[in-house]
Amino acid sequence: MNKTAAVQRVIDVFTDEPIVFTTGYSCRIANHIADRANHFYMTGSMGLAASFGIGVALGTGRTAVVVDGDGSLTMNPVGLLVAGSLPELPLIHVVLDDGEYASTGGQRVPSARVDLGSWARDAGYRRSLFAVEADEFEAILRAEAADCRGPVFIHCLLRGEDDPVPGRISVDLADHALAFASHIAS
Amino acid sequence: MITDLAGVREPERAVPPQRDLPVDFADQLLQHGYGPFFGTPCGVLAPLLTALEDRTGLLTIPREDNAVGVAAGASLAGRTPVVLMQNSGLGQSVNALASLVVPYRIPMLLIVSLRGHAPDTTQENLGMGRLTEPILAELGIPTERLTRERDLGALMEWADDRIRHSRGTAAVLIGPAAFGWQVAA
Repeated sequence: MNKTAAVQRVIDVFTDEPIVFTTGYSCRIANHIADRANHFYMTGSMGLAASFGIGVALGTGRTAVVVDGDGSLTMNPVGLLVAGSLPELPLIHVVLDDGEYASTGGQRVPSARVDLGSWARDAGYRRSLFAVEADEFEAILRAEAADCRGPVFIHCLLRGEDDPVPGRISVDLADHALAFASHIAS
Repeated sequence: MITDLAGVREPERAVPPQRDLPVDFADQLLQHGYGPFFGTPCGVLAPLLTALEDRTGLLTIPREDNAVGVAAGASLAGRTPVVLMQNSGLGQSVNALASLVVPYRIPMLLIVSLRGHAPDTTQENLGMGRLTEPILAELGIPTERLTRERDLGALMEWADDRIRHSRGTAAVLIGPAAFGWQVAA
């Protein structure tokens, strides 16, 4: 499963729940696949996707999904500590791990010797899961979507060449935030 | 005897009751519908953090930019969040404000202490003491100072106008002396 396939599966499963896509290619891929009102594209502030998703889940009390990357998670892992401290938080935290900073030229993320899933487990997440195949990943997402009663971490190991990268998010960011807020309120 | 007692009581009645500023400010924030509250470590703000914790609960976040990130999510989820931080943490939060809160126009209240301002003479805080107001000004985030003499009603009206009515972000700045912080403590 490459990054595009992983993002596609997340979008297929969560058509109404708020999804926060991290900076870099994830939000561009999601925007290209389907630009839905439940999507939040975090075009900057690398490292804060999980924190933002935590805020959404706290604010609504309903399931929120974060599509994070290994680069953004390791830039600022504090979100793991915050989510782990909230055992009832309905957060599905997906990390798409390609081992590189794809959007800045493919430099290697220094995480090859780190088990990201054990970080989440040790931080206090309710569950920490691991997926390599797309069908397996989707099955995990559907199971967690049906019964999210605490923070869940899904470490998704990406393999294979990615599709050509879509263009940058071009929508006005303030309009985007307002549309996302309206979707949550509806 | 009776006359003496009256003489003792009279001056007490003439002096207004000691104002507990952090408690009054916490009450005002709650009355105006602010929350949830995201706290980060700060000695200057400690009495306010305690007052909020006692009244409504406070989620402590280990780092200020993460607190801004969590507050941003809560804001778009329909809440009116407050982030409490020391100005050293404002330095930590500059990118979160510049690339998330400001361009996405996400309403929230920042409460920022002013380490490095009198009577704080600690060398490590002088830099952020000087930078706090210029950084917020350059970000386009309006500020007001909370002092012991400040009319809290007018301050809340100012905050409501910017945050609730204009969907913006605003910062209340709090100097070290306002809640009784002392450099020797």
